[in-house]
Amino acid sequence: MQIPNAETPWKPLLQLRGITKAFAGVQALKGVDFDLRAGEVHALMGENGAGKSTLMKILFGVQPPDSGTIVLDGVGEVAIDDPRHALALGIGLVSQEPSLVPQLDVAQNIFLGQTEALGVVPRSQFQAKAQEILKPLAPRLPITARVGSLGMAELQVVEIARTLARGGKIIGFDEPTSSLTPAERDGLFALIQQLKNSGKGIIYISHRIPEVYAISDRVTVLRDGRVVASRATKEVSADELINMIAGRRLAEELQHSAKPVVRAGRTEALRLEGISATGKLHDINLTLRTGEIFGLAGLVGSGRTELARCIFGADRKNGGSVYINGKPLDLRQPSDAKAAGIALIPEDRRKQALVPNMDVERNFGLANFQQYSPSGFLRLKQRRQDIERYIEEMAIRPRRAGVRIRNLSGGNQQKVIIARWLQSGARIFLFDEPTRGIDVGAKFEIHELMRRLAKDGCALLVISSELPEILALCDRVGIMRGGRLVQTIDDCAGLTEDLLMKYASGEVTRS
Amino acid sequence: MTNDRVSQVAADAKTSAAPREKKVSLGWIRSASVVAGVALLFIVFSVLTNSFYAPSNLLDILLQSSINAMIAVGMTLVVMARGIDLSVGSVVGLTSMITASLLPQNFLLGVVAGIVLGVLCGLINGILIAKLKLPDFIVTLGMLSIYRGAALIFTDGKPIYGIDATFRAIFAGDVGGIPTPVILALAIALLAFLMVRYTALGEQIIAVGGNEEAARLAGINVERVKICVYAISGLLATFAGFVLIGRIGAAEPIGGTGFELQAIGAAVIGGASLFGGEGNPLGALVGALTLGAMQNGLTLLNVPSFWQLVATGVVVIVAVFADQVTRKRR
Repeated sequence: MQIPNAETPWKPLLQLRGITKAFAGVQALKGVDFDLRAGEVHALMGENGAGKSTLMKILFGVQPPDSGTIVLDGVGEVAIDDPRHALALGIGLVSQEPSLVPQLDVAQNIFLGQTEALGVVPRSQFQAKAQEILKPLAPRLPITARVGSLGMAELQVVEIARTLARGGKIIGFDEPTSSLTPAERDGLFALIQQLKNSGKGIIYISHRIPEVYAISDRVTVLRDGRVVASRATKEVSADELINMIAGRRLAEELQHSAKPVVRAGRTEALRLEGISATGKLHDINLTLRTGEIFGLAGLVGSGRTELARCIFGADRKNGGSVYINGKPLDLRQPSDAKAAGIALIPEDRRKQALVPNMDVERNFGLANFQQYSPSGFLRLKQRRQDIERYIEEMAIRPRRAGVRIRNLSGGNQQKVIIARWLQSGARIFLFDEPTRGIDVGAKFEIHELMRRLAKDGCALLVISSELPEILALCDRVGIMRGGRLVQTIDDCAGLTEDLLMKYASGEVTRS
Repeated sequence: MTNDRVSQVAADAKTSAAPREKKVSLGWIRSASVVAGVALLFIVFSVLTNSFYAPSNLLDILLQSSINAMIAVGMTLVVMARGIDLSVGSVVGLTSMITASLLPQNFLLGVVAGIVLGVLCGLINGILIAKLKLPDFIVTLGMLSIYRGAALIFTDGKPIYGIDATFRAIFAGDVGGIPTPVILALAIALLAFLMVRYTALGEQIIAVGGNEEAARLAGINVERVKICVYAISGLLATFAGFVLIGRIGAAEPIGGTGFELQAIGAAVIGGASLFGGEGNPLGALVGALTLGAMQNGLTLLNVPSFWQLVATGVVVIVAVFADQVTRKRR
């Protein structure tokens, strides 16, 4: 803990003292102290499983702490019962998955849970109030728009407004930029700055180090349920920060992150001709060669995920052909794609890749029933041996195959999914946001794994909203915009984040 | 063959923090509380009546529970795949009528026709749900009405008397003092348990119920899995119907009415989660036994059967409530 400077007077809006929390024997928080001042952005960092989410859940009333106290300025010690209570105390959370009602409009959502929203007060009255709150935040957002039709950035604005409508003084942001475009991110940062200037206290959770430097005044790092350090952001170097987060010397490894060798003269693995899907994809032509990593950049909603799902047979296409190793194949469902040696590692692990209640071994076996039960009966011993080998080789933690997969960190879950498809013998890998929500250490391991796959002659298609990831991994890059592949860049030398961004937003075109 | 690809990474990789598996799960507490509940039930009834714990009455409970147990095993599999089958009671009625009508002509034909029809009923349910993507609740509720109607149309609402003696001996006799329905129910539950544990289909049922989209994206044929569980449910309802007409000695078109609630109750008490992805066919036995013991005890206490219906409903809703509470995600 750091003692505040004498010359900067501050008052704590919020003080958490000695917070502990265990989940059925696992100590998630081991006595955490955290405080937040008015008019500051306090970043909270740590790997997945370090305890950030648990701490936030306690602060926002989702779970009670086992011990420890929460003291609010002007209120004193509080026990927060549920998220409604938290909101009433002036504590709001902008979460990764907004908890808004899609069927209601913006104004209704802002006042949701308050009596005004029940229609007792004339509509025009609370609409005017909503307008007043929204005006400084997002003057162009129509308050009568249905929330279901809004994009991620707008949803966040509505969540902020909802907190402000209750007189909120503390706003937490949980990985707010993970599905924002760079332009939207800049907008959000401006907004946070504005909230800060008006004396709110902001808790900002992120994996992204540059963001923490860009926005925060102080940073607290959690590791294994404990506070590693709590310091002024500008006094900490990025290297130090990474070391605090990962607890090891990763900075050098990350920096070296060698550019891949140009792999030429490989054979065609996957060819797309004129792939179309109504309203989503228009005439996509693309060739993916063995041994290469092809990056797909573009804004959220540009059709990248849709393309991967179409190739995999998860969604219907209504035009065009897919050629695997030169042969046209009709992939109508994921099982067809699997049989053709294609793997999809989807963007939302929890919803699209994992059966949370199953253990690691069974999740691993999900795509491998042909292999492990040709007769209908499972060859459990064989499967157990195989997954244990992957656990060793890929350093999956914890080391036990019988652990429920939902208890693993994001990075370890992702490794299990990759192991699943390696075992299936896939040669074409479609990675959709392969390291979203994964901590720096595991991210590096997964990148290395992807490079090795390419080196071994697999073909990789990588979708990522993190442009540095695309630049670090890919041999070639395609840019999608409005459902079209608008640009293919075969020589990545000289490609910068800035340039990629301009292509994606359509500011520049290269012929 | 693929593992050398990753060996390099392993060399670079270090441990990263991950939570440990919790030893005492809510599920375990739940199982323990079901067992405790059953024990309490037995103690209370044994104290309140002097005939409850008599060996002959305990055997009676086993016998009375066996029909529900068979259906509940099928229901457990359906619920594990995150479905529901409300048509089981009507399948009992329809298949037992067909079998009863054919038995006098040809024993084997009667049995086979009943089984084929039961599987067919399940297949229809499954195909409508999996292929046409109709809601399981509505499909099987509609089928509850259709199968029942068919059974009534078949004999114009009249029962069929005089079930073949051999048939009765097989499905409602006893072997060395143990009633065959009890043996049958045990065997069915055991087979289903082994299927869940040791076959691809069993694991796919859990996967589809646990996360359908993930199962589909892993290349599992989700439609086939769903159709399978409904077919199994139809088959097991048929066996239950055999036991029913074997015991009564006659087949009624309204036989099996209300069995669906009993079966859902037994499945949920036995640990099946209506959220899908969890359940245990052996638990269905415990569930059926719990409901059976409760009804038996209430009868001994001279509680009118109308009130027993109320009690059954209450127990089922409480069991579902307990399921919600203990499984609520975080």
